[in-house]
Amino acid sequence: MSEVPELAGRPLPLLPTTVVGSYSVPEWLERLKTDFYLHRISAAHLDEIHDVAIKAAIKDQERAGIHVVSDGELRRDNDIDYLLARIPGVTILNATKSYYYDYYDAEVPEPLATAETTALGLVDDFVFTRGQTDRPIKFSFTGPFSLSRRIRSSAYRDRADLVRSLAYALNGEARELVAAGATRLQIDEPFLAGYPDEVGLAIDAVNLVTKAVQADWALHVCYGNRYARPSWEGHYDFLFPAVLDAEVGTLVLEFARKGYGDLSLFERYPWERRLGLGVVDVKSEDIETPEVVAGRIRKALEVVPAELLIVNPDCGLRHLPASVARAKLRAMVAGAAAVRQELPDSPTVR
Amino acid sequence: MLVEVRPTRKLRGAGALDLTACLAPIVDALCADPLDLSRLRLVCDWVQYKNNFRDVIDVRPVLAPVQQNSDAADPEEDKLEIAVDLRRCGDGDLAEIVRHVLACRTDPDGLERVYLEDWSEGTTSRIWEFNSLYWRFLGVWEEVTGRRYEQALPGGQSDARNIAGVHDLIRQMFGVWDDLAAHAALPDELYVLELGVGNGNQAKTWLDEFAKLDAEHGTEYYRRLHYMMCDYSEHVLGLARENVSDHAAHVSSFPLDATTPMTALGFLRFKVFLVYISNVYDNLPTEDVAQIGGHTYRAELRAYVSNGDAARIAGEFGIEPRALVGAIDKLLSLGPELLVDALSANFPDVARAAAFWMQVWNALKLEERYLPMTGLDLYQIAPGVNGEMLRPMLERHGDVRMQVSNGAVASFVDTLALLHPYGRLQCHDIFVTDPHQYRTGFLGPGKYDGSIVNWVNGPLLQHIGRRKGFDVSYAPFAHRTGSNIVTLTAQVRD
Repeated sequence: MSEVPELAGRPLPLLPTTVVGSYSVPEWLERLKTDFYLHRISAAHLDEIHDVAIKAAIKDQERAGIHVVSDGELRRDNDIDYLLARIPGVTILNATKSYYYDYYDAEVPEPLATAETTALGLVDDFVFTRGQTDRPIKFSFTGPFSLSRRIRSSAYRDRADLVRSLAYALNGEARELVAAGATRLQIDEPFLAGYPDEVGLAIDAVNLVTKAVQADWALHVCYGNRYARPSWEGHYDFLFPAVLDAEVGTLVLEFARKGYGDLSLFERYPWERRLGLGVVDVKSEDIETPEVVAGRIRKALEVVPAELLIVNPDCGLRHLPASVARAKLRAMVAGAAAVRQELPDSPTVR
Repeated sequence: MLVEVRPTRKLRGAGALDLTACLAPIVDALCADPLDLSRLRLVCDWVQYKNNFRDVIDVRPVLAPVQQNSDAADPEEDKLEIAVDLRRCGDGDLAEIVRHVLACRTDPDGLERVYLEDWSEGTTSRIWEFNSLYWRFLGVWEEVTGRRYEQALPGGQSDARNIAGVHDLIRQMFGVWDDLAAHAALPDELYVLELGVGNGNQAKTWLDEFAKLDAEHGTEYYRRLHYMMCDYSEHVLGLARENVSDHAAHVSSFPLDATTPMTALGFLRFKVFLVYISNVYDNLPTEDVAQIGGHTYRAELRAYVSNGDAARIAGEFGIEPRALVGAIDKLLSLGPELLVDALSANFPDVARAAAFWMQVWNALKLEERYLPMTGLDLYQIAPGVNGEMLRPMLERHGDVRMQVSNGAVASFVDTLALLHPYGRLQCHDIFVTDPHQYRTGFLGPGKYDGSIVNWVNGPLLQHIGRRKGFDVSYAPFAHRTGSNIVTLTAQVRD
């Protein structure tokens, strides 16, 4: 029991560390992204800027000692638009913005095509990232339920059909990603906590996305991180038991900000897969100490076996200043390492 | 020479200001001076505050950026702004005043001023110590003037105590809470926060009405309610506590600097359903920035009392003229009550100390100069908010001068962090709601009783709020006509 089982790729130590997806967006990058919408810089220049920023984000993660890294989602304006704008049949009513982080107004006037081979272009992003690091990569994208919440549509009598149609599109893209070498894929559902009554639909849609895609899948559900604020309140009770039917290997949850009371859900329900444990609060610039992180991990180990525990921030780091993000990641890695040393037969990263 | 006349209503109609008569002697005097007229701006305002910090004509140097290369062939030279208060154009021989202030450019002593400070940032000028003194010793001021501060507000009362407005707000909140309760997402503790609680009349009205409406609603929200009263002034906080004694079990009170609510209320982060603020922002420290000829400047200040006023005040209170500044220092650091102990020969009782305070305050004026800014990102509007937030306004509106409302921004940003995802911030104050207003009127500073008043930069708050995920809207105060008060509402967007 010295390694976390992997579908593909390299073995990882116990308590591997990773990020949820997004990385610190510097203020100058925000300004340049907005400048693009104001026609002050070209798409070509912005692409080059994104490339440089992503390389730096990966380097930051590597230097912090993160085992599974991401591209920081730095090409994406927010959690929704990058995907919605690429799905055939989704109409962006006004493609200009006064601030890059704003959401588009999106509409689906006709039912979406259900062909599974629609390419959304995320493969290029993955291939670029693959070329920048030797570490395992997690590639995340927003799930169909959350995407649907930002779409106006009269094309579907039953809104659930819109969610399923989006899931088909994402499933096609997931196949392309795996064909390009992606092994760890994550579906983010940041809007789900606001609609707890619809968890069944969301999980059904997750399973349509993951269907027949041979990847190590994760599902991330949080209380929102728009502008570094929670969008919703409540507890993770609503996820259970529906989430037990999700065809994913890891459930990535927010704990550090809200406390660890919801860990009891893993005693009450038979979730015998991995838990991505949020150990740093991404909505606060206060930097956790390694001791605090270690304490949080130890608490989780009371209900989740070490071989099923992954250590990550509560959510994406996009709203944190880079220096704070780096410091939090370092604390997270150090805290995980401290607990790892306490475990029997603790391996090292190969 | 660039002449800018802010288009006050006083330029038209019956009894209109004779602008030609005002400007002609000023322009004649400027043309008679050998200064480079291409580097001169003449800016004319109607300063509506009868008590203010201006002279009828002020000279403001516009400093050139420091040259990186001192050997530059064509170093940029300073410019000059002449500021005219049109309301007081009849107060003297304007040509003579202009000749005098221009002559004093090379002979500063000729201005005959007693300075209370060196050049300072607008937010750290000593005028804010006077403002702070007013709130700390409001009881003394009220006793000496025989007037409660609320009577000094426009209309003689705070706009907060309006039953219809209170009912609207409470009913909307009940709707949110009902919805959250239906999803088992309503917290046990329901927090409401009031900043700048004043004498507690608003809090009492709000709590009375809340209890009444809750009884009708039948959900027992009142039992879970925590009303947090905050104010800078211990004096008014004490009055407020007495006022809401019927609701004592549901009320907590905190002495608090409105610019940093999180220092005392950090435990309420993301938990407050309603933040209520009334007539606070206009009274918080601010400084001005200006776009002049494509460059951005901040206005630096230097507080002074004219030699004439200084001699009069010193004489009346038996103070050696050269000891006047020291006595003012003591007043500001100790307050009027302890000043009696510190300088008992001059101030036998608190009333005399307060009289000294009021006379100095009435005589207090400000010199200004413009200092070039070296990068908006390096300018801190408030903790965590840099000058880039000003860029859209500065870029879109050409040469413009405006208040940054630093204290209001600090308070606003720190307060937003307290709001529950379904929370709301509501604020009644005097807001600029259209940047165009900076071209059409004088928006402060003025003296309001013993405090300072500046119109609040609403578009800036709106922009900052938007960047923090909030929709910020402005509307005329809905429940009383004829008021300058505007209601700001901030709620989470998306």
